[in-house]
Amino acid sequence: MGTDTREIRVTVNGAPTRSTVPVRLLLSDFLRDVLGLTGTHVGCGQGPCGSCTVLADGDTVRSCLMLAVQADGMEIETIEGVAAADGTPHRIQEAFREHHALQCGFCTPGIVMATVGLLRRTPCPSAAERAELMEGHLCRCTGYRNIDEALAALSGAEPRGEH
Amino acid sequence: MAVGLVGTSVRRIEDHRLLTGKACYVADIVLPQMLHMAVVRSTRAHAEIVEIRVDKALAYPGVRLVLTGEDVRHLGPLPCIDLFPDSKPALHRVLALDKVRYVGEPIAVVIADDGYAVEDAAELVEVVYRDLPVVLDLGEAASEAPPALLYPEFDTNVANVCRQEVGDPDAAFTDAAHVFEETFRIHRYAAAPMETRGVVADPTGQGGRITLHTSTQFPHLVRAFLGGVLGIPESDIRVVAPDVGGGFGAKCEFYPEEVISVVAARRLGRPVRWIEGRQEHFVATTHAREQIHTMRAAVDADGIVTAVTLRSLTSNGAAMFTLATTPASISSAMLRGPYRIPNYRAESLSVLTNKTPLAVYRGAGHPQAVLCMELMMDRIARDLGIDRIDLRRRNMLTKGELPSDRGTAIVLAGKVVYDTGDYPGCLDQVLELAGWDDRLRRQAEARGEGRIVGLGVACFVEETAIGPYETGHVRVDGSGKVTVLTGASPHGQGTATAIAQLVAEELQIPIADVTVRHGDTDVVADGVGTFASRGGAIAGAAARLAAHKVREKAVLIASELLEAAAVDVAWVDGRAEIVGVPGRGVTLAEIARRATAWNSLPAGLSSFNLDEVAHHQVPGIAFANAAHVVEVEIDRDTGTVRVLDYAVVHDSGRIINPMIVEGQVHGGIAQGLGGLLMEEIAYDATGRPLVSGFQDYFLPTSAEMPDIRTGFMESPTPLNPYGMKGAGEGGTTGAVGAITGAIADALAPLGIRVAGDGPFTPPAVMALLRARGEGVGA
Repeated sequence: MGTDTREIRVTVNGAPTRSTVPVRLLLSDFLRDVLGLTGTHVGCGQGPCGSCTVLADGDTVRSCLMLAVQADGMEIETIEGVAAADGTPHRIQEAFREHHALQCGFCTPGIVMATVGLLRRTPCPSAAERAELMEGHLCRCTGYRNIDEALAALSGAEPRGEH
Repeated sequence: MAVGLVGTSVRRIEDHRLLTGKACYVADIVLPQMLHMAVVRSTRAHAEIVEIRVDKALAYPGVRLVLTGEDVRHLGPLPCIDLFPDSKPALHRVLALDKVRYVGEPIAVVIADDGYAVEDAAELVEVVYRDLPVVLDLGEAASEAPPALLYPEFDTNVANVCRQEVGDPDAAFTDAAHVFEETFRIHRYAAAPMETRGVVADPTGQGGRITLHTSTQFPHLVRAFLGGVLGIPESDIRVVAPDVGGGFGAKCEFYPEEVISVVAARRLGRPVRWIEGRQEHFVATTHAREQIHTMRAAVDADGIVTAVTLRSLTSNGAAMFTLATTPASISSAMLRGPYRIPNYRAESLSVLTNKTPLAVYRGAGHPQAVLCMELMMDRIARDLGIDRIDLRRRNMLTKGELPSDRGTAIVLAGKVVYDTGDYPGCLDQVLELAGWDDRLRRQAEARGEGRIVGLGVACFVEETAIGPYETGHVRVDGSGKVTVLTGASPHGQGTATAIAQLVAEELQIPIADVTVRHGDTDVVADGVGTFASRGGAIAGAAARLAAHKVREKAVLIASELLEAAAVDVAWVDGRAEIVGVPGRGVTLAEIARRATAWNSLPAGLSSFNLDEVAHHQVPGIAFANAAHVVEVEIDRDTGTVRVLDYAVVHDSGRIINPMIVEGQVHGGIAQGLGGLLMEEIAYDATGRPLVSGFQDYFLPTSAEMPDIRTGFMESPTPLNPYGMKGAGEGGTTGAVGAITGAIADALAPLGIRVAGDGPFTPPAVMALLRARGEGVGA
């Protein structure tokens, strides 16, 4: 009946948390419902869409495919932690706005988080690396070209000049 | 400063909250004491309900309530607003009564304390069915002797017949030098916005007043529909569309969950939340497109198409939803597109089948119509040995022939009278943008190398900016800031930015001083919503009209403050100044404060406050147009269709924000491409849908999208005070015809004829190739 619980300690956007959660609670629901961090969106609950992407110890993960108890002891980063503490947008957020890389905004936090992870590992990702990132994300509004342009600009590259 | 704001690519005012996790979608709403709802859905396509056993579910820990059809037998069905006078009103119940007609039909709801427990409990509801024969095939469903009748009381599965008649098509066919006939099959797919549907129904308002938070495109209409079904006044209902994660028509429908959640919430006295799952979405949210068009064309010796007749069938699924006849109506009214074709007859049937209800999706009936017309044009050109561009030009309405009464009508929207546009000019411009002649040459070379390369062109005219009206309310308060209340309910289109541009330009103020509010029926008293490419053009016009009235009122108030005649007061950079005395003026804030009710009424005014309401009543449909050119290549070994290049020239009248319009065109093209090449909701022989989520319903990704070059023309419409038409759907409408045309062109030299829209998945294309002895394994 899913009533077993366990205590977990998770650092979220730099702040330590301690909660007792049902063992079947998904990480996405933990972030959204327990911590109130609703910027992480669940678009499919099955994995393919990528909207719920967050960083777990720096790696991009689908928070809808991970249990909260699996995050015990981890550092989780979500969209709420991307801008500076004073609210100044991150350059990724600026680039998405500048290139009109979002419309309804539902898939956007997942793509931004994946981009945070990529640029941290690879400051100037190649077109192939950017394309690989976008293989993991569905967007129904933009037709992707403007997202690709934002990612290219962040990589210091021409949008499609290096195929 | 703000002068010249309209027509520039202002960055969106919506983006900051969307990019920082501060947006609020319906699933983000948490209310005290909130309960969770799950829906028990039919697993059968057509069956009598013998028994529903709810005792195990009721006994599950945390369960508060189970409702079945019996509990809401007294409630009327969900309305369909585009029924014709002689339509068969096959309306959807809130919960199934006695019978189910599609897999996914709501049978019962379970309400529990916890979102996980409620899913457990819903699985414990047992439904005993007695199966009935299933009718899935469109032709069979519409036939004289169908395998089953969904509603025996109507004695037919044909719920509606929409007719169009122009000129004398019979005489034209008698006189025709050539007659062409083709049957085009359009498959079933769906809008599939990234946010599924969802509701939070809160019954705890003063005196039991209801607030329904719902992921919808038209909150004011939901308020009206909900009041009608429940029999309570609209004033007892507040509907809020919070941030909405895409709609594309699928959220421009009124759904059973928007009623049953309210019923349950009122029963329990606590808020009730339901968020649709993705698998659930593919059976519970309207599908789109599925049609069969049988089309005949009469052509004279010069390649002039003198008449077209159409008989179309639309698979409406198991009930007529909110906008059920619109797809058939639009495709029948708009089939001829930009072509003269003086004689025309259409008979378009909306047919009931044991599938999820089908309704509007971006373009509604336009994409199907464009596909049929443009494939027919290509076929006529090929068979008569006429260049296909030349054939189009010969038949195309010229600028001088507009306005043109086409003699057809679209349900709810009205008569089809093309207003403005330069269709041949648009075609010329896209051919240049695409480098058409060069592409033809390279195509010939590629074919010489054995590659399967095709070029497609699609020209179309589309209904946009439909009525009946939209509201705009502009208010300036003592802070000097401006608030716009709009009846549009945008969900990704950037309409708030467009409206802010229009208002800021009118008042000559910085765009940052403008706040746009929408989507809450308690904040915006009256409105219609966002659909049919109407938000920017219609709501934008209303807001600008209201801003203009505010400015006129402000000048009157300023003239009193400045002790000058109104004719001597000029509006300069967002403030009122005495003409010729630049230093002497008053600010918007000062003017707004003077107009407040704690002062005396300013001289010459009949009302306090610096605010004005405008309704833009739409006098007729504004018709946008565009031309698309596409190049595709088909991989002989895998059957993969690759879109190599895309050029589009789009004319939606005066443009408010080119960046936003281009984004709409891009997104529309992606949806057209996805529908053609990847997406399908197929059913097995028992009526079970073969889709469970994005793992087997493939949306296009970045990798499938071609480069897109976009050009604009601007033919202002006299039907809008600012010349604006709509731009939301054209990308999809054109893409479907252009890409199919390119695939047909690619396969034509192999003797493969394309009569439909696929989907052109790799296996489907391989099957076409193998049937002609081409490709691997042939």
